Amino acid sequence: MLGLGLFAALLISDAETDDRQDAGPTNSRLAIIRTPSDFTLTTQDDKPFRLSSLRGKVVLVSFVFTTCNGTCPATTHRMVLAKEALAKAGLLDKVHLLSITLDPARDKPAALRDYMRLYDIDAKHWTFLTGSQKQIDKVLSDWGMWVRPAANGQLDHPSRVFLLDGHGRLREIYDLQFFRPRWVREDVQLLLNKVSDASQKRLRPRDASTKRR
Amino acid sequence: MTPIRYWTVIAGSLALLAGLLGLTLAPAETCLSPFVKRLDKPEKYLYVFCVDADAKDNDFLAVIDVDAQSPKYGQILYQLDLGSAGNETHHFGFTDDRTHIWGCSLFSNRLFIIDVASDPSKPKLVKAFDSAKETGLTGPHSPYALPGKMLISFLGGKDGGIPAGFAEFTNDGKFIRKFELPEEAPYGYDVAINPDLDRMVTSSFTPPRNYRKPLAKMDLKQFGDKLLIWDFRGRKLLQSLTTAAAPLECRWSLKKDAKHGYVNCALADSIWVWEGDAQNQYTVRKLCDTGKLPVDLTQSPDGRYLFVSCFASDEIQQWDVSDLKNPKLFSTVKPGVEPNMMHLTGDGQRMYVTNSLLSTMDRSEDFWVRLVRIGPDGMKMDPKFNVDLTKLKTGPARGHDMLMY
Repeated sequence: MLGLGLFAALLISDAETDDRQDAGPTNSRLAIIRTPSDFTLTTQDDKPFRLSSLRGKVVLVSFVFTTCNGTCPATTHRMVLAKEALAKAGLLDKVHLLSITLDPARDKPAALRDYMRLYDIDAKHWTFLTGSQKQIDKVLSDWGMWVRPAANGQLDHPSRVFLLDGHGRLREIYDLQFFRPRWVREDVQLLLNKVSDASQKRLRPRDASTKRR
Repeated sequence: MTPIRYWTVIAGSLALLAGLLGLTLAPAETCLSPFVKRLDKPEKYLYVFCVDADAKDNDFLAVIDVDAQSPKYGQILYQLDLGSAGNETHHFGFTDDRTHIWGCSLFSNRLFIIDVASDPSKPKLVKAFDSAKETGLTGPHSPYALPGKMLISFLGGKDGGIPAGFAEFTNDGKFIRKFELPEEAPYGYDVAINPDLDRMVTSSFTPPRNYRKPLAKMDLKQFGDKLLIWDFRGRKLLQSLTTAAAPLECRWSLKKDAKHGYVNCALADSIWVWEGDAQNQYTVRKLCDTGKLPVDLTQSPDGRYLFVSCFASDEIQQWDVSDLKNPKLFSTVKPGVEPNMMHLTGDGQRMYVTNSLLSTMDRSEDFWVRLVRIGPDGMKMDPKFNVDLTKLKTGPARGHDMLMY
C-alpha cells in the first residue's frame, strides 16, 4: 500500500513538474482547459468507481453506448489502438482508460462486460462505467456532453475523447479525426514529462530549419 | 475464428466504415472547420448574422426558411434580438457538435453564443460577453471549432492596435488561453486547420483602429500581407510567407491528400495558393487575377472549383483549379451590388450570398440574401429566391455571415 502511495506521489510529482512548465493559461502545449467534478459510477463488475481514485494517472475518457452503430465502434476501436501504442511505449501502467455509457437504461454492468469481450478489452487498464440516468446526466452535463434520440432510433451525441492529467484536469479534447494513437502517446508522454530523446531529436531539425517568432 | 475474434473483426469493420463515412462527409460545407459535424440532410434554415444598418436598433440573427417544400420558403421566419446595438456583427461559426453558433462582432468585441439545437427555427441567445476583457485582444473575427473548444482569431490587440492574436474558449465560453502574433507579422484575420497535416494557416487584415474609420480614411499601410504556417497541435509558428496585401479567407484544398490551399488577397485583386512539399515546408504564389476586391472565397466539395466574391466589381467568379499551373475562369454571375459572403451547401449545388462587408466599407443601401444555383455549366442566379433585408420593422439590415441547419 505504501509502495503504491509512493508510486502515485512520484507520478503526481512528474505532473507537477509539467505544470510548472505550463504554469499559466498561455503558451502551454496542453493548456489546462478545466477540472471536471469528481463522480462515482458503477463498473462493469457492478462495483462503485470514483474518478478521483485515478489521481496520479493520466486518464483517457470516452462516452459510448454498447448498441451504437454510429461513431462509438470507431471511438472504441481508436481507444484500443491508443492503448496498444501506450503499451508499446511502456506507458500503460501510468494511464487508465474509461468509457462511460451514454445509455444507462440499456447498458447495465452485464452489457458492458459483453461489450468489453467484443473488443477483447482487459479490465486492468480500462474500466467501463454506468449508473442511474440521473448520475449519467450529471456527468454528461459536467463534461459538456449531451445525448438525444436520433431519427434512426439510435442516440445522437458528440464523439469526443478527453485527456486528464494526474491532477484530474482536462488537458485535451479529441474527436475521431484528431484521436490518433501517435498523437495520444505524445500527449500522454508530455503530461508525464517523459518525452523520449528520440522524439526530441526528431523535432529539432524541423524547428531549427523554420522561421520562428 | 473464435466468436470474440469474429466480433472484433465485425466491430473493426464497422469502425472503419464509420471512419470512412466521417471522411466522406467532412468536406461538405466547405468553409466550415473540419471538426464541425456536417449536415446529413438538405438545409431547412439559413441563419444570417445581421447588423442594424443605422446602428440604432439591436443587431440580430435572422432565420430564413430555405426548405424548398415549405410554404414559407425564402421568408424570414424569426429574428433573434442580440440585446445590443452597434456591434458590427460579422462572422459565424458552429461549435464542433453543431448545437451552438458563436458570433463575433468587430466593433463591440462581444461574442454571442447562440443555441440552435433546442429549436432550430427559434435560436436562443445563451451568453454574450466582452471578449477583450479576458483576452486583451480586440476585433474578434473568425470563430473556428476545435473538438470541444472554440478558437477565435482577433484582428487587433490592446486598444484596437497590434499585435493581433488568437484565443481559445470552452464551448460554453470559458477562456482557456491566448496567443499573440509575432512582431514581424502582427496582423490577424482568418484561420484554417488541416488535421491530417497537423498544420494551421492564418492570414492578415488590419486592426480595429484602422477598419473602424470610413474607407476613405483607412491607412493602406496598416494592412498585413503575411500568411503564417503553424504547427497546429503545438500552436507553434513555423513559417511566415509573404503574399500581396490583405490575404483574407484561408481554405485548405479539399482534394484528396492535397497539401495546398488558397487565400484571396483583397487589396491585390488576386487568389494565391500555398503549397507544401514532402517535408511540410510551404511556399506561396499568385494563382490568378480576379475581379475587384475579392472578399470571400469558398470551394466545391471535390476541390475542383473556387468561388470568389468580388465586392467592388459586383460579381462572383468560379475558377477551375484542377490544374494549379493553369487555373481557368469557368463561370461568372452578377448577383447584384457588392456581393460578399457565400455559403455553399454540402452537395455543392446551392450557394447563398449576402452583400454587406463592413458598415465602414459598404457603398450601397440595398441589402439582400440571394441564391446561386451551381450546375455542370457553372453558376446561375435563382430569380425566385431574394430575401429583402431593407424592409424590416427596424429598418434596413446589413447581412453578413451565414450558417445552415
